Amino acid sequence: MNGANVSCFAFKFIRLHKRELCRARIAGQLCRTHSQHDSLSPGHLLLSSRYMSHRIHRGYSSKSLVKDCRGLLYRNHGDPSHVVKLESIELPPVGADRVLVKMLAAPINPADINMIQGTYAILPDLPTVGGNEGVGQVAEVGSQVTRLKVGDWVIPRDAGLGTWRTATVLREEDLISLPSDIPLLSAATLSVNPCTAIRMLSDFEDLKPGDSVIQNAANSGVGQAVIQIAAARGVHTINVVRDRPDLQQLTDRLKAMGATHVIKEETLRRPEMKELFKTCPRPRLALNGVGGKSATELLRHLQTGGTMVTYGGMAKQPVTVPVSALIFKDVKVRGFWVTQWKKDHSQDEVAARGMLDELCTLIRAGKLSPPACTEHSLQDFKKALDAAMQPYTSAKQVLIM
Amino acid sequence: MRSVLVRVLQAPGMLVLGGAHRWVAGHCRRVHSCSALVYRRHGPDLEQLRMEQWDLPAVGKHSVRLRMLAAPVNPADINMMQGTYPILPEFPAVGGNEGVGEVMEVGCEVGSLRVGDWVVPVDAGFGTWRTEAVCDATDLLSVPSDVSLLGAATVSVNPCTAYRMLHDFQHLEPGHTVIQNGANSAVGQAVIQIAAALGLRTINIVRDRPNYEALAAELKAMGADYVITEEQLHSTGLGNILQEAPKPRLGLNCVGGLSGGLVLSSLDSGGTLVTYGGMAKKPLQIPAKSLIFKNISLKGFWMTQWKRNHRTDAHLLQSMVDALCSMLRAGQLSPPALVPVPFQHYRQAIQATVQARQRKRVLLMQ
Repeated sequence: MNGANVSCFAFKFIRLHKRELCRARIAGQLCRTHSQHDSLSPGHLLLSSRYMSHRIHRGYSSKSLVKDCRGLLYRNHGDPSHVVKLESIELPPVGADRVLVKMLAAPINPADINMIQGTYAILPDLPTVGGNEGVGQVAEVGSQVTRLKVGDWVIPRDAGLGTWRTATVLREEDLISLPSDIPLLSAATLSVNPCTAIRMLSDFEDLKPGDSVIQNAANSGVGQAVIQIAAARGVHTINVVRDRPDLQQLTDRLKAMGATHVIKEETLRRPEMKELFKTCPRPRLALNGVGGKSATELLRHLQTGGTMVTYGGMAKQPVTVPVSALIFKDVKVRGFWVTQWKKDHSQDEVAARGMLDELCTLIRAGKLSPPACTEHSLQDFKKALDAAMQPYTSAKQVLIM
Repeated sequence: MRSVLVRVLQAPGMLVLGGAHRWVAGHCRRVHSCSALVYRRHGPDLEQLRMEQWDLPAVGKHSVRLRMLAAPVNPADINMMQGTYPILPEFPAVGGNEGVGEVMEVGCEVGSLRVGDWVVPVDAGFGTWRTEAVCDATDLLSVPSDVSLLGAATVSVNPCTAYRMLHDFQHLEPGHTVIQNGANSAVGQAVIQIAAALGLRTINIVRDRPNYEALAAELKAMGADYVITEEQLHSTGLGNILQEAPKPRLGLNCVGGLSGGLVLSSLDSGGTLVTYGGMAKKPLQIPAKSLIFKNISLKGFWMTQWKRNHRTDAHLLQSMVDALCSMLRAGQLSPPALVPVPFQHYRQAIQATVQARQRKRVLLMQ
């Protein structure tokens, strides 16, 4: 039975299947370590009673879910702080092949913001609910539903399904179940960034233990997943971040999760790189989430015959590729879009399942943690969206339903 | 000192331009020498190139002696002399990387070549601007001697580049479309003709010029389906063309900069942009969306590297040259307009190559 909640000082719940879900708020600050699967961590004080009502894990009243469904809707594209509104949503009845899902948590990713702004490659019909990933719990199943059962944790199989809501009714085939023993925030942030990271590390270059990968935006959701998955595979990572006042703290944090090197953008152009390459080989693979000069510098350090994979464009600048790199260094410049991968493999249950299983195994082993998350209730969505659009954010904004 | 088997060659006409025999004390040894264009330093001015007499080594059992018939002057040859090419020969170096020769003598264990065969070098750095050469038989590929001399002399760089780019990057079938810039270049013209022979459609981008209409007619006569200027593509896009032809899956770029970007933006999702030159000397600016959402791949192609990677696969190299020579013979492939230049007038040929928009010069040794 999924969906168990952690035992805390004040309220003791039965810990089922070792799932820990700590909703601790200590003096208004959010505990950032509780997302670890850590059965030894002492309970954090759970203060908000609002959360408690959602923690009665068994027997959700689906009627109340249907009645009280609310979500973050937008009717026009534009600035998220203007166009997104919290509204009541009427849910359709749960048809034979459908499932009623109570959403538990959903992050705010850059692609979600771009979709609202109308700049994303795929745009849903309007009006629509925002959010493309998140984890929910099955509350009711239709008569022809075979794979899923009440209580299962599920994530959407595809983008565009609208996750910033308290409940939703989806077809069984639109959902994938997750195992019952990973932290909530890992589950909520699993299907976009860690999947992007593992695919980029697997599908473009044959990386062996001891090989290196270089990446910019190393502090991003994808970047942190890359560091950890690469470390688990024995692959070095050279991690490029922008300079900032708390660079040392950031460096320490990334190294603690397995980064081999953490360097500033400026360092890429300096002779120090020679020293760096005495301790690890030149990278065969470069991962670019930024574009512009940053991407060109990554290319410069790639091995002959290597590949640069672009998965994002945070600097909103094109990727500059010198012709000589293509002709004489034989580098390949490719892109990756996890949504497309999922579409291309929608019939390939084995591939999708295998990827999630591998990620969950890493999570369970403590080798893959979600990024630091700042949690918000659905009501506080404006604050959440604003925070998500700030530059130099160090935390992923997550809506808790 | 090794004694060398003396071969007395009776065939007339063996004494080619600059060839000579010397007798070494105590042995009858015929040592060939040749005239070659030699340089001993790099430099931008190209003054360092001199015609010199060079001794040739004796023909070992795996070696071959050939007389060069014709060798073009390519931009890469100039870059090598200037020192700006990524591979540079040791000094003293003979210029020229491409050309056709005729086998005059074979070592006793050479089975693949016979006297009279026409041959082209396998690798760059051969040094083809010379009247004779001695090399390993595996350094050469044979070409049939019933293709035109100028066709054979210019088959191993540009047509081979075109051939590989059309075959190695996208699975193309008759009716599919290829788009390229620099369509008027030697590679571009080879792409047009080979694509036509394969049933592929080509969209050919050229820079605007006063005689654009005449050029477009010329390219269409050799098989181009569509000819369009950079300016037209930039302002109106491919609109009309795409009503008749499928969106291109393969783009070939020898210009870089904005032009390369235009080719890339014309590609179908999942397409490949292959870059083989950078005549505008400007990098490509790739929108992230093209990579992420349209899944466009960017790759480079360098004939020299391909040949090195497949050095030991003689069959692959030979079959490519054979296919191209068949096309030459059948008239499906013609070399671009070339200007033959007698070997001793090499300075004119070099100077012309350094200028833009000149027809390719080919040195004739015989």
